[in-house]
Amino acid sequence: MAEFSLDALGEACPIPLLKVQKKWPDLKGGDVLIIHIDHSCALKNIPEWARKEGHNVEVEEVEDGVWDIYIEKTA
Amino acid sequence: MAKQREYCDVAVIGGGAAGLTAAIYCGRARLKTVLFEKALPGGLATYTSEIENYPGFPEAIPGTALMKLFEKQAKRFGVEFKLTAVKQADLTGGEKVISTFRTDYVAKAVIVASGGKPRLTGAIGEESFLYDKGISFCATCDAAYYTGKKVLVVGSGDAAIEEAMFLTKFADKVQVSVIHDRGIVDANEVAKEHAFANPKLEFIWNTVVDEFRGGERLQQVVLKNIKTGELSPVDVDGCFLFIGYLPDTDLFKGQVEMDGRGYIPTDDNMATNLPGVFAVGDVRVKGLRQVATAVGDGAVGGVAAERYLAEKAYFDEQIMGGSCPTVVYCWNPTDPVCRSLMSDVEKLKEKYREQVKVVNVDMYKAGSLAARLGIQQAPALALVSDRAVAYRALECTDVRAIEAELAKMIG
Repeated sequence: MAEFSLDALGEACPIPLLKVQKKWPDLKGGDVLIIHIDHSCALKNIPEWARKEGHNVEVEEVEDGVWDIYIEKTA
Repeated sequence: MAKQREYCDVAVIGGGAAGLTAAIYCGRARLKTVLFEKALPGGLATYTSEIENYPGFPEAIPGTALMKLFEKQAKRFGVEFKLTAVKQADLTGGEKVISTFRTDYVAKAVIVASGGKPRLTGAIGEESFLYDKGISFCATCDAAYYTGKKVLVVGSGDAAIEEAMFLTKFADKVQVSVIHDRGIVDANEVAKEHAFANPKLEFIWNTVVDEFRGGERLQQVVLKNIKTGELSPVDVDGCFLFIGYLPDTDLFKGQVEMDGRGYIPTDDNMATNLPGVFAVGDVRVKGLRQVATAVGDGAVGGVAAERYLAEKAYFDEQIMGGSCPTVVYCWNPTDPVCRSLMSDVEKLKEKYREQVKVVNVDMYKAGSLAARLGIQQAPALALVSDRAVAYRALECTDVRAIEAELAKMIG
């Protein structure tokens, strides 16, 4: 189970989500993608997209206004 | 990966204005409070560019900024935030279990503040363009992306009209599809006046969405005139839907009572049909869904949860948890019959001293405590032994019956 990470700090919507969608085919089932973001809008559309696709999502607030989104790809 | 188990006093499901307020009250009452939010704390309010009518902010404040303050306040009172979706909720037992994908949280009380989710049109092709492929529900989030472009707004309520006007600051052209006859919108008068005077806004009357078309991204929305049936394609770069909300209550179906549309009815104290489960904010059956009313719900629900927990602890420890038989006297201090019976209860207490525990329950202050024993009317006596009610004397005028039962019990 590999772990990938994406830096989307300083980027506004919809760039972070597009980055995730571009990276997504590289992941296998069980892999985890961590996206670093600091635009709150990405906290809405990335989890929304990932959950709709059936993947597990958890968000951690690293510091005020900076988040890591964890997405676990379902098999 | 083994599931972890964590314990808390109160679980708040949903981090909008109502949930955050309930959490502030619970946190301040020193209850261990965990708040679950699946996206950005702040809820629906963060989808509004400017909030003009929340008291205390005479200059309009952006929704995100206002909700950030709510969040900060909740954190100051020690509320723990879990930014993840609740996958399952078992609310029927005395211990409520809230499951996320990694952890099961066991809570003594639950406050449902899950609000709503945007309603979709159900038109052909809609699914293909959701989530940043052209269909959006948040002008504040996505407006800048449409700078110099062409967008269509669907709807005519306050959200639709106000957000359409906000979009005109970015987009070159904003068209608004309205289901009503020419000149009729559901938005408030002020918004309506401004909108009709805005040269960048163009209204398309009597229309609904029939189909969304495009390749990778949305390129065209086909509108249907509801009177003539005529179809008219509109070329767009993006489309914003503001056609109302549906309650987000699928998780609780079959447990919490709901109305036909999925909203949760509560009493004045935000209590649902399940003991220890409260509902606050937009998810509730109510007349006005605003930040200001959500805050009121949250405060009431938070305090109700706190009272429920205090009462439950008292019931479990003082009434049911005695090491010897417990006599519970449910009385009303203003009633003369109750007052005269009180002296008999006192005598009983003296007589059996070490062998029995006597608890008085004031029906006026703590009627729900008596209800837990199956007692609705004062005066009444109950005999509790081994964590169960062994005998009830309802509408009693003396203590003879209960004393006889007690004597049998202690031999």
